[in-house]
Amino acid sequence: MRESLILGIETSCDETAAAIVRNGGEILSNIVNSQIDIHQQFGGVVPEVASRKHIENIAGVVHRAFSEAQLAYSAIDAVAVTNRPGLVGALLVGVSFAKAFAYALEKPLIAVNHLHGHIYANFLEHKDIEFPAICLVVSGGHSSLLLMSNQNKMEVLGETRDDAAGEAFDKVARFLGLGYPGGPAIQEAATKGKAGQLQLPRVFLDRNDFEFSFSGLKTAAMNQWNKLQRRGQANVYDMAAEFQAALVEVLVEKSIKAAARYQVRTIMMAGGVAANQELRNLMLKKTNEAGLKLFYPSLNLCTDNAAMIAANAHYHYGNRSFAPLSLNAYPSLLSL
Amino acid sequence: MLILAIDSATPVAGVALLDGNKLLKEEFSNYKKTHSQTLMPMIDRVLRECECSIDDLAAVAISAGPGSFTGLRIGMATAKGLCLASGKPLVTVATLDALAYNVLRSQDLVCPLLDARKQEVYTCFYDVSAALPRRLVEMSACSPVEFVEQALHLAHKFGREKILLLGDAYYPYEEYFQKTLGEKLLVAAPHLMYPRAASIASLAILKLEAGEWDNLFSLRPHYIRLSEAEYRLGKGAQ
Ligand SMILES: [Zn+2]
Repeated sequence: MRESLILGIETSCDETAAAIVRNGGEILSNIVNSQIDIHQQFGGVVPEVASRKHIENIAGVVHRAFSEAQLAYSAIDAVAVTNRPGLVGALLVGVSFAKAFAYALEKPLIAVNHLHGHIYANFLEHKDIEFPAICLVVSGGHSSLLLMSNQNKMEVLGETRDDAAGEAFDKVARFLGLGYPGGPAIQEAATKGKAGQLQLPRVFLDRNDFEFSFSGLKTAAMNQWNKLQRRGQANVYDMAAEFQAALVEVLVEKSIKAAARYQVRTIMMAGGVAANQELRNLMLKKTNEAGLKLFYPSLNLCTDNAAMIAANAHYHYGNRSFAPLSLNAYPSLLSL
Repeated sequence: MLILAIDSATPVAGVALLDGNKLLKEEFSNYKKTHSQTLMPMIDRVLRECECSIDDLAAVAISAGPGSFTGLRIGMATAKGLCLASGKPLVTVATLDALAYNVLRSQDLVCPLLDARKQEVYTCFYDVSAALPRRLVEMSACSPVEFVEQALHLAHKFGREKILLLGDAYYPYEEYFQKTLGEKLLVAAPHLMYPRAASIASLAILKLEAGEWDNLFSLRPHYIRLSEAEYRLGKGAQ
């Protein structure tokens, strides 16, 4: 593999991020400008507000990535940028900036699929990952199971039919009055309650595929909560614990099933929801029982960042798979 | 002094290269394609044909709004990327100023109109009797009805016989403007109806000479309007 020093840029949702990574594995700088406190007042990410913050912050964030790495702009070999999936208006800021920045430096441009980027966060910290592997990518925007045969081949096995896992966390947390972002809020509340006191469905677990659906679970939780409140038996902690368990069990069981079906010995987790402690615990238990190896990134590399984008780009760089100046941004996941 | 000007504030995409007061090349496109796909290749063609690179420029100029929110950001992100990498100054020009600069040395009341959606236009009123357009009021977003009221009022106040309209938001309301402004109405020639990167470049040179360039690290488009979500929250102006 060719040596590489890559600037990654990420603006697909509500983090303006830039990072410099050597050879897909060594982080020289990793700057994340989170807008979470801005979107908190709206109860979720507002695309237009996110795009406005991105254009304001992009140059400063990229500049900091270089100054923390103590590098001149011209020292990098390529500029990598997320161009899908995500909020189009937000993606366009990163894509437009990256194209111009690469052009002015006369460096190649690399387009990275955000979902693949999440998976590559694992390669920033773990050097002993064996292929093939099953990848579970779960965040506010995605819930997908992928089969990764090698560094260059990824295939989507299944996705959510409706809400992403993180989205369901957000909506239920808001409904229960636990605040935003929902993942950490529900995890915190769940520690004070007990799963199994209430009964929520494990949606799609009986099906023989790798699709997810979390909208039904969300609705079931809301309906049951309304009933419990009418009866004066509402315990928000038990509800949070049961909701989290119902969601996590489906994610874990489907991942283990996928590993068996494709005769894979490795499972990787990625994305913001992979930071959930209950998911980590249960997945560790089940992979141990099944004799599988489990990898997941540390907390700050689970959520959106640009180091993972630069890490993925290292392999594109090795293949000389570069993007043209006409590169566009797309909301959907569809493979490049 | 070479200036590269970029405009993607409206459905028009434009790139111009100006050397002092000599326009070397201008590309203008008002045909369907998305700015994100067309703008960088346009910049590359303009520079290549003139045997220039970013390093040869004195500055990069950008139309900073008002206009389409996404279009403005595509242009500004492009300009910021070019300027951060090259260390060249970034100069902003108001989209409406550049439009007004299309028609100079006239005694008419000049009013550029850009589509602001929601049945409104972005507009401003200009005195263009001198070498540079001069705003008579602040730029704003308003309904065509409010626009006509203000146009008639200002024409009377400043003793202007004719009111000259230009910009893409003229066409959707053409009948209404003809009916309400009657004999006073003038319309710019078709080739002067749209923002032109060459106008932006010319205005930018003057700002550059006056040392008026912008801070890459805090600059944002001039949206005029808040986002919908901010309106609903009742936040202060951005
Ligand atoms: Zn993500």
